[in-house]
Parts: sequence; structure tokens; C-alpha cells
Amino acid sequence: MRLSFVGFAWRNVWRRRLRTALTLCGIGMGIGAFVALVGFSRSFEHAWLEMYESAGTDLAVVQKTFLNTSVDQSAGAVLARIPQIATAAPMIINMMAVTPEINTLVYGWKSDTFEFSALQILQGRRFRDGQQEVILGELLAGSLNKKVGDTIDLQGGSFTVVGIFRSPSALEAGAIIMPIDEMQNLSGMSGKVTAFHLRLKPPPTGVSPAQWRQQAEDTVEKDLPGLRAVPATERAANNQLVTLAHAAAWGTSLIALLVAALGIANTVAMSVFERTKEIGVLRAMGWSRFRVLFLILMEAAALGLAGGIAGLLLGWAALHILATLPQTASIVSTGLPIATLLEGLLMAALVGVLAGSVPAWRGAQLSPVEALRHE
Amino acid sequence: MSSPTSPSPALLEVRDLKKCYENGTIEALRGVSLSVTAGDFLAITGASGSGKSTLLHLLGGLDVASDGAVLFRGQSVGRSQTGTVCIDLDTYRARYAGFIFQSFHLLPSLNALENVQVPMLGTGSHRRDREERARALLVELGLEHRLRQYPTQLSAGERQRVAIARALVNEPQVLLADEPTGNLDSVNSAKILEILAQVQQRHGTTLVMVTHDPGIAATAHRHVAMKDGLICN
Repeated sequence: MRLSFVGFAWRNVWRRRLRTALTLCGIGMGIGAFVALVGFSRSFEHAWLEMYESAGTDLAVVQKTFLNTSVDQSAGAVLARIPQIATAAPMIINMMAVTPEINTLVYGWKSDTFEFSALQILQGRRFRDGQQEVILGELLAGSLNKKVGDTIDLQGGSFTVVGIFRSPSALEAGAIIMPIDEMQNLSGMSGKVTAFHLRLKPPPTGVSPAQWRQQAEDTVEKDLPGLRAVPATERAANNQLVTLAHAAAWGTSLIALLVAALGIANTVAMSVFERTKEIGVLRAMGWSRFRVLFLILMEAAALGLAGGIAGLLLGWAALHILATLPQTASIVSTGLPIATLLEGLLMAALVGVLAGSVPAWRGAQLSPVEALRHE
Repeated sequence: MSSPTSPSPALLEVRDLKKCYENGTIEALRGVSLSVTAGDFLAITGASGSGKSTLLHLLGGLDVASDGAVLFRGQSVGRSQTGTVCIDLDTYRARYAGFIFQSFHLLPSLNALENVQVPMLGTGSHRRDREERARALLVELGLEHRLRQYPTQLSAGERQRVAIARALVNEPQVLLADEPTGNLDSVNSAKILEILAQVQQRHGTTLVMVTHDPGIAATAHRHVAMKDGLICN
């Protein structure tokens, strides 16, 4: 194979195999954490969006405040009078333990809500309002080994499984859905709901869908002070759970990336120190400071990129493992957006270049004759 | 390869060159003036600490003088002076000067063929051209059977021949050799000197060699001796 500038950089990196391999492990862990955590939080957001889109939800009505997430159910009567709204479905969402190991999302719906349109009942039937009945997502039913007719204990109450369903959203495929009144009793939320999901009427002639939706949002906020109507896409991206997931993912990833960057900086600094005389030779052969700088930066970037590829594989594997664990299967999707993969690689190369910049600069500043004298 | 225009008959010239270390407390060169014409073979001799290697480093653009000037074809090297055009040190080393070291300084991760290509890496030259040029030089120096060997697999004499090929790969006008036979036995020393003489004749390269061996210096066209940072003959 013919020698190239990039090949030369890679040979330098690979010369100390053990040290390079250990550095790659460090970077791989950092990028793996980024890919797994950020990938998880994004697939979590995507699952929310899928849930809204498959049900045909146009708007969600929620509290304006972040911490107080409950809405009076009586608001449903006000929403029903708003001319743009076709249907307002109250819903509750909560996380509950179904076994000591397994926590799952639990939804409270009305038995006649339009949100059933997204579900495919595989076995049994829908639940009935006011009855201690639940339907299970097929993923959860498989994990719990439950079938129609079995019972399930939730927060001290015993519920009969009356149906098993399939949903395109991972948030529902691993969830339990029960009558909203039973859910209110179970959660101590009498008269309260988490949100209302709205379907709008078709816009009249001459009014665009966006204008129609905006009119609906404005009317909701005028008629129900303290509440706001948000488009489904925005709700998917900005609800409290997704926001917290994003924040936790980025925070943890950044710490892991910082540790990886320090590993690269250390490796490149050691490499420059050990190769001081060689840098002197390169300078004596006419290599400019810039060419030396570029070589060392390329070595750092190569370390970052190789670690990034290892990290992508690690992150992908971590997501697949999480998706098979009963404790996390209901909220983890294995789908890894291509943007996250590219971002991971770009970030790895950038971390490499940034971490290598100081040792590279120092290496490039060496005078040829001083470098040649180095022992 | 472009060359600077020549207002002076000397290819390489130093004028009142001084080099101090440790804030001026150590004077390695104390005002050396010297002229080398194209095609010349100059030997510089002297005891350890006489300043011969320092002079060679300044002639090769590896270091900068504390005072005085290094001129290549009449142009100042690495130092702009009134009325002269300055040649950048990197450009000078890359285009006009080739270096041969006593300790060879080959890169251990590259084989012979690759080591010779190193000066051309990153210059925009085509990979195939680089390899052909390196191969031709190694064949010329009798290493056609050692192209893929790494430095640790080569004898000392072979390593120095690879280093000579590397110094020649950018077709320099002046070749600067710092004790090129210092790490070789007598047989290999004689061979390397013969090769350098052939290279000088075949390529028309000017050769400046530092040596402590008067016998080797005697093979040069010209010989200057140094003592205490000054030329003494």
C-alpha cells in the first residue's frame, strides 16, 4: 500500500498499540454513553410523537406550569364548547411498579376515546369504564407472561386483563391502559387528569390548517386561563419526561466525553513527547510547523474517530440490551436515528482535535535543532 | 524546481556568523565567514565543541544565528535584511537543502521506501510519483532488494544509504552531512563516502560535510578547520 499523509498519521497512532487500544476504550465508552443516552432520549421523544400521530391527536391541553401537571377534569366541558374542537379526550399517565423489578407506564383513558384508533386489539376486548379491567401492550404481556383472563396487581388493587394490544409506539407497546376513573382512584387524582388530547374539526374553507390550529390554541388559552394548548409535535418534544430525559442524557454524556477528551489529550501529549526527535527530523526535512501541527491533529482526530466507531457499536449494543430487559423495555426503543450516529462520529472527531490541539501546538513549536537534541 | 536568481557567484555564503547560547554566555560561533560555490565538496573539521555542527545547522537552516547572515544564492535565509530577499527557513530546508545525520534518524514505523518519501508527504505530490522517485533513488544506492525492510531490519550502512536517499528526494542543491560515517565501520564508511562522491557528481549537488576524521576530510575538494567557534585555516 502506498504511503499517504493520513496513513502516516495512523501508523504513528498505532505504533503504541496497547496505549492506543486503552485510549480507544476510553473514547468508546464516552461516545457509547452519548449514543446510548442521547439515542435513548431521542427515541423516547420519537415514541411520544408516534403515539400522538398514530392516534390522530392534534393538540394537547396541559398546565402552563412545569411541576403542576394535573388539570381539572371539569375543563373537558369547556373544551367541548370550543368550535374548533371535535373531541377532547382526558388522559392520565403515570409510572407504576407491576413487579418488584418491572416499572411500566400506565395510562388512564375513557373506554370510548379516539386514542383507541391507534391500537390493534390482538386478543380480548377494550376495558369498560368503572370496572377493574386493564389491557396490556403485547411487549409487557410477553414480559409478564400474562394473557386475557389473568389478573394483575397494581398499587394494591387487582385488575383483570381483558385485552392484549399492539401499538406502533414503544411507549404503549410496553404499557398498561385502564379506565380513567379507576386510574384516578389508584393515583389519588380524583377529578384530575394529566392532559386532554384534542382532535380538531376540519378547517372551514379559506382557513389553513395552521390558522385553524392557532385559533384553537388561542381559544383554549382564553377560555381556560392557566392551561395551554400545544401541538402534538411540541408536546412530544417538550413534555416533562422527555425534557428530563434529554437533560440527563446530555449531562451524563458530556461528563463521559470530557473524560474521553482527557484520555486523548494525555495520549497525544505522551506521543509528542516520545517523538520529539522524530518531529525534529520532520522539521529538518522541510516540514513546516503547520504540516507538523496538521499531522498531530490528524492523529488525534484518528484516535477520536476510531474511538467514535467503537462507541457507536457500544451504544447500539447497550440500547439493544436495554430494550430486552423487562425493567426498561417499555421505554427503550432500539431505533437509533442516523443523525445521532453522525453526531456521535462528528463529536468524537471534534473531541479528538480539541483534546489534541494543545500537545499538537507544542509539538509544532519545537525548533528542529532542539528537537533533534532531545533524548 | 524553481531557484532563486543569483546575484552572487557563491551558492552558499555565511558572513560574520555568530551563535550564542545561555543568554550570550556561551559563544558557539564567534564570527564565521565562509563561501561555498555550486558543485563544491567542503569538509569542516574540528574537535568536539569547536562549533562545526553549529555551523552546519545554521548552513542547513535548522537553527537561526544570533548575528550575521546565511545567504543562499545571494538571498538571506530565514532573516530579512535591507536590500535582500528572504527565503523562509521551511522552504529552504524543503527545496534547497538536504540533511544526513550521524544517527540516520529514520522513522521506525516506516520501511525504507516509505522513509525516503517522508520529505514529500503533504506537499501535494502524487503518491505514485513519490514512490517512483523514492524507489529510483534506493535502486541507485543499491538497495533495490531492501525496499520493504524496516530500519531495525537494515544494517547501519544500509540505514545511512536510506538516509542519503531521503536527503536527495526533493532534489536539493546542497547536501549537508553531519558525521555521516560516525556510526559506521571502516568498510561501510568507505562505501558511504564513495556513494556521497558519486551522488555529488551525478546530481551536481554541493556537499558540505562535518567530520572529525582528517582522512575523510582529505577526500573533499576543500577543507576548513574550526577551533573555539572560529575558522582557523
